[in-house]
Amino acid sequence: MPAEVDVRHLRKNYGNVAALHDLNLQIESGEIFGLLGANGAGKTTAVECIVGLRDMDEGEILIGGSDIRRQSTEAKQRIGVVLQSTSLPDHITPAEALALFGSLYRHSTPTAALLKRFGLAAQANARFGFLSGGQRQRLALALAFVNQPSLIVLDEPTNGLDAHARRELHDDILQIKSDGHTVLLTTHDLSEAERLCDRVAILDHGRVVAVGSPRELIARASGHHTITLQTDRAIDPDGLSKLAGVSKIFGEGLTVHLSTNDSTRTIQALLPLLSATHAELVDLHLRRASLEEVFLNLIENDSEKSSAKQPT
Amino acid sequence: MNGFAQLLRVSLLLHFRNRLALIYGYLFPAIFLAAFWVLYRHEPVPLVRHWGQLITVTILGSACFGLPTTIVGERERGLWRRYRLTPARLGNIVFGTVVARFVIIVGAGALQLALAMSIGMSAPAHPLEFLAAFTFVSFALLGVGLMIAALADNVPAVQALGQCIFLPMLIIGGVAVPIESLPEWAQKVSAFFPGHYAVESLQACTDGPGLGAVHFDLVALAVPGVAGCFAGTKLFRWDAGRRFRSINGRLWLVPALVAWLAIGVLAQSQYSVAPAIEPVAKPPVKTVGATVPKPSPTPQSPPASKPVVPPDSTAAEPWLSVTAADIAGLNYHVPPDSGVVTPIARPDEQPDEATANALDGIQGNLAIWPLAHVTDPVQRTLNLLSVAAVMDLAQDPVERFLPLMIFEQLSMSIPRDELVQILAWIVLHPEQGRTPNDLADLGLGGVAQSPLIRERADLYAVKFIARLTGRNLSSPSTKPEQR
Repeated sequence: MPAEVDVRHLRKNYGNVAALHDLNLQIESGEIFGLLGANGAGKTTAVECIVGLRDMDEGEILIGGSDIRRQSTEAKQRIGVVLQSTSLPDHITPAEALALFGSLYRHSTPTAALLKRFGLAAQANARFGFLSGGQRQRLALALAFVNQPSLIVLDEPTNGLDAHARRELHDDILQIKSDGHTVLLTTHDLSEAERLCDRVAILDHGRVVAVGSPRELIARASGHHTITLQTDRAIDPDGLSKLAGVSKIFGEGLTVHLSTNDSTRTIQALLPLLSATHAELVDLHLRRASLEEVFLNLIENDSEKSSAKQPT
Repeated sequence: MNGFAQLLRVSLLLHFRNRLALIYGYLFPAIFLAAFWVLYRHEPVPLVRHWGQLITVTILGSACFGLPTTIVGERERGLWRRYRLTPARLGNIVFGTVVARFVIIVGAGALQLALAMSIGMSAPAHPLEFLAAFTFVSFALLGVGLMIAALADNVPAVQALGQCIFLPMLIIGGVAVPIESLPEWAQKVSAFFPGHYAVESLQACTDGPGLGAVHFDLVALAVPGVAGCFAGTKLFRWDAGRRFRSINGRLWLVPALVAWLAIGVLAQSQYSVAPAIEPVAKPPVKTVGATVPKPSPTPQSPPASKPVVPPDSTAAEPWLSVTAADIAGLNYHVPPDSGVVTPIARPDEQPDEATANALDGIQGNLAIWPLAHVTDPVQRTLNLLSVAAVMDLAQDPVERFLPLMIFEQLSMSIPRDELVQILAWIVLHPEQGRTPNDLADLGLGGVAQSPLIRERADLYAVKFIARLTGRNLSSPSTKPEQR
């Protein structure tokens, strides 16, 4: 059985700027796959190439085995997309929009069923211009399901939503997976990715720098721990940075976070420093690195490698 | 319901829910109609002589502003990106959008027709042909609209680009301002605008002989229409983020522009398209009668040196040498009687009171006008034809009825066969004879450039020959000569 999405050697340039370098991704059927990256990392370009919105310069993208360029009709029948900035004419109603877009596919879900499923039955004949932000987002989701797709692509779906709407959308996405769909999700929100995604790929400057489940990525960064230290008086940051195992310090003043790859030795060295500075320990926490910290670490390492390669 | 029907349905629903679109699409055409009615209030049948102009303005407005504003606005909203996510082909969606716009234009045209008929205009003489011409015109101008949509990056740019085409077409393209009122350079320029042919073809189906008389106009509409639709689709952008200057294939603009240029250039050699733009002074390539460029060999010397006004001519009558073949070979492809160039009223048309009084006055003056009584029948005929020509150029209210009076006077004073030969001689010898360009002694103020007078006089001569010989003006040589 072919992967639901198979991206091979994808390259995309904007003029002289390379947006994607030899991108390779495989998304298996039934999983929620997260594409993570900072602004400008190439997430949206990659997604737009995958769904056929943007022409690629090189490479191949297969959706359920159909080439998005050469067999676009077949490939597009399988994809439902929630665009980052989605809008419709102010005067169209949800029922009309669903009927219109449903008619452009070979198979479509009945409009009434979609309205009911996405809680828009009461707004079926309301003009788009009068819908709330949450209702518009639900309509965008309903439009993505209009063609009974096997792959749902969500480009930054929770951008601009309040906490309640975000939580509802998270539940929807998990339900989509339970219904047997594959989900490709791009997001800035790493806690969201950690909560929802079976696997993630971290993109930086158009390259995949890591792929795996959030747990795997965190485990791969094994040894990476964060020590949160609270004292009754400030400690010199230079002294903390010289402690054994410490790779980075966040914060200053009375509460400081130490990133360390050897927590035992760091704590052993910390106690003498506290004694020497006459600082009293108020609180101390030790925890494994989060996906966000793994992400930042990977991005930083990649940037350092890139700058090291730059001719001086 | 299939995709095309849904697209059509939703496009129309959205149009009718948009107040601004309704104002532009229906209120403005009604205002234009009222303006034309007021402007030409003296005419016996309201609006009928300007119906081609009115409908062209309506279609042009919808094509230059309505269609591209819809497409560009939807593109800015991201609707076209959403279309691109579907398996539907670009051509099908563009076609659906264009057809929806056509239906909207048909609605506006029907509203105008209802309003016009309610104030006394008669229905188009050839309704089915009118609908066909309407479709041709819409197609050609919607092609222009697609080009604007392709070029404009945003809605304000549509307004700017649309005005760049709309206003010139109205003013110097023969759409809102009658073409013969324009200076010669503007008449030449108008041949490059589809609006020119739109007016002619629609008018021919309203109170003229129908589409048979305007074959070239249909070609002149179809060619830029096809080129515009093709280039507009090739240059189409799904995404508002992609600026026009950044897209590939901008050279697709070239075929569309070449199509316009080609039609304009071709029109320069076709009298039916640009009637008043060829100077008459060029003897052998005179547009009317150009199919028989060589004059008969016999009449060379006498007419050339023949005095115009002097009453008597003792020389041999050169026009007698005009043969049936010469007459059959004339170019009978002339503007329709119902048009704006060399119009002739229908027999059942009645002038209004003021026009009738003016015609009575002219008839009285013609009876004592020396130039109407010169002995040389060629010069006499030319003088009388020139009176009709000057009135036509001056757009005098009598312009449509005076030719009938002149025709009657000539028919009564010269035997039919001789009159046909004389008229043909005039057409075949544009360099000979002289037209009076000041009709002050006839009590008429209209004065125009001599070459233009002669050109119009020649056109009336062809029309009179056709009437005398029973020819069909729309299709030369289709009827055998009846001599």
